[in-house]
Amino acid sequence: MSRLVSLLLAVVALAGCGRADDRTEIVVQRFFGECGAVYGQSTDVAAADGECGTLTTIINRFQAENPDIRVRLNVVAWPGYPQLSAQIAAGDPPDLVTMHQSVISDYQGRGLLEPMGGLLRGAGIGPETFTEAGRRGVVKGGRVYGMPWDTIGRLFHINTGLMAQAGLMRDGQPVLPNSPEEMLDHARRFRAATGNPYLIQAQVNAPDTHVGNLYTYLLAQGAVIFPDARHIRLRTPEARRIVELFRTLNAERLSTTNQDFPGATAAFINGQGGIFPTGTWMIGPYEAEAGTPGQPLYRSYAVRPFPRLWGSEAAFVDGHAWVMPRRERSRTERAAVGRFLRFLADHNFDWTRTGHLPSFAAVLDRPDFRALPHRAEIAEMAGTGQQLPDYVQRQSAIQGLIGEELEAAVSGIKPVDQALADAERRVNELLAQMI
Amino acid sequence: MTRSRGKAGHLSGYAFAGPFLLLYATILVYPLLLGIWLSFQRADLFGARTWVGFDNYARLLTDPTFHQSVLNTFVLALLIVPPLTVIALLLALALNRATRTAAVFRGIFFSSSVLSVTIVTLIWRFILTPDAGLVAEISQVLGREPLPFLSHPDLTIPSLAITTIWWSLGFPIMLFLAGLQQVPPDIYEAAALDRSSRWSTFWRITLPSLRRTLVLVIMLQTAAQLQLFGQAQLLTAGGPSGASRTMVLFIYEVVFGRWDLGYGAAAAEILFLLVLGITLAQYWAITRREAER
Repeated sequence: MSRLVSLLLAVVALAGCGRADDRTEIVVQRFFGECGAVYGQSTDVAAADGECGTLTTIINRFQAENPDIRVRLNVVAWPGYPQLSAQIAAGDPPDLVTMHQSVISDYQGRGLLEPMGGLLRGAGIGPETFTEAGRRGVVKGGRVYGMPWDTIGRLFHINTGLMAQAGLMRDGQPVLPNSPEEMLDHARRFRAATGNPYLIQAQVNAPDTHVGNLYTYLLAQGAVIFPDARHIRLRTPEARRIVELFRTLNAERLSTTNQDFPGATAAFINGQGGIFPTGTWMIGPYEAEAGTPGQPLYRSYAVRPFPRLWGSEAAFVDGHAWVMPRRERSRTERAAVGRFLRFLADHNFDWTRTGHLPSFAAVLDRPDFRALPHRAEIAEMAGTGQQLPDYVQRQSAIQGLIGEELEAAVSGIKPVDQALADAERRVNELLAQMI
Repeated sequence: MTRSRGKAGHLSGYAFAGPFLLLYATILVYPLLLGIWLSFQRADLFGARTWVGFDNYARLLTDPTFHQSVLNTFVLALLIVPPLTVIALLLALALNRATRTAAVFRGIFFSSSVLSVTIVTLIWRFILTPDAGLVAEISQVLGREPLPFLSHPDLTIPSLAITTIWWSLGFPIMLFLAGLQQVPPDIYEAAALDRSSRWSTFWRITLPSLRRTLVLVIMLQTAAQLQLFGQAQLLTAGGPSGASRTMVLFIYEVVFGRWDLGYGAAAAEILFLLVLGITLAQYWAITRREAER
């Protein structure tokens, strides 16, 4: 017995004597989900599908082609900012992190991110190669704080079969409204002809739905939403007009009202409504439905930017970026991060197969990008898409506050003026308390 | 001689209690004091601190969102604790027998307690969601409009309460079963000889014997439900319009969403005082009645 114990102890002791891994290690933290069971070993980027699959495969490919660098991947639940904040507070942040461009100001404003202009230039990635929207997303206070990875925006995903039933197709193209009155008219005609709501909207547990509508049409009307870093302006005729339109759509049951995002997605796939305003990232799944015989969306799917209801064309966009939390790093670690970013930049086209718009202008002109479904219709957003000013911090928390008040207004729980006043007060209180 | 033995006894007592006290002070008392100190600061997650005195508490007193979260938390505790206690007691009474069927059902009723909050809310989302949920499907079969359990301001709190009761049943049932097995069988035999009715046996023997367990269940559940978080975050995100935001969800949003650590700490201290006060009041009410006896 004692011999066996001695042998076991010896084995345990010798197990620690293996050759140390002397490769340069970089810690990469991302959201977009976990799919190791399917893509854990895959390096065929062209064959990968979806956000998780594509990014996992790109990273696997980098690892296979760069054996001198060890990529330690940390997958966090979306959006992962509480974890990142805790890591930074504990002094142990990762080397690269996926971050929404709208969130960068929060961390950059507190000096928690490294400016990346020099590192990117060293890797042969100049900010002049970014798209307009991508550049606006990562340049804060005149400095580059990330490598933009894509531009994401909200689009009208359209069931053209139902639109045809309602007489809202012309020359094979969906007819979209040009004013709020026309939208209500289309919606009523659609409801009468099909028995279904004109809009499918995720209004439960999804503040971004109402905030996306509000920001988009405020920008279209040329309204100044944030006159400075500490104030928002929502008690305006422009904001009231927008909220009242969506309140009317709900009140007349021209929109779905009690669905969360999965419910709204299922409703659109099952042909239970005309238009689903949601993100670029749903193009892939809906295109797959449109190509499957027997499905309600079969050959009945189109995508368009939000229609111009007021003022000018506008799109409120965001995007993902790769940022570098501030910490001590050796030259070899920085070089490894640079090589990794270069590899990602070279695969930006592969990422756009997920439905997102590219962050590098050269990809926009590639024939294979133009050949992807519906990209020609939405590519302009990479240039025209607008974000909130770079001095606006806590955009995610602000979206939550505004979304909550708009939800109350649109569903009829609160009068529109009171909801807008409450939203303005709550956001201004938040901004006033920022350190 | 006696004095030295007493001293040695004291020292050995401290030696036994010391490691626990050290751990207790490190992971409970120190964070508690740190939280109190933070509540007087304007602070973020990354070390910025400015002394603001009672400013955070003053803000809480005038914050309607916080007031609503306090009210929601109390309503939820009231909707959860009494029914949970009664249902757990009834189930324990029904399952307190040495049969194979009872053992199987004990396992079934306890099984929900081992699930994580993520799984629990996923299950209840499948049941309650108004477009394709189980309840919605049944409503439609019966020709009725599905109820928006997760998006109507009057229905979200009851939905959270039902979810929590289902999830939390296992532990109180086990406590009641343990309590029931402590009741001496000869008392029941005496009651049977006296031809005592079932109700009379329950009211005069079982319930008084379970008094301490009952108090324990009520106190534990009250403290737990005042800190309800995961269900509210995952099922309704506190909506619609804050109608189901609890105090802990409010604290989470303030600290991790707005990075307003001092304000969140002040709200956490108020929650701590409420839990402490209510638990002590319950304890005082029970022990006073026992002392009167």
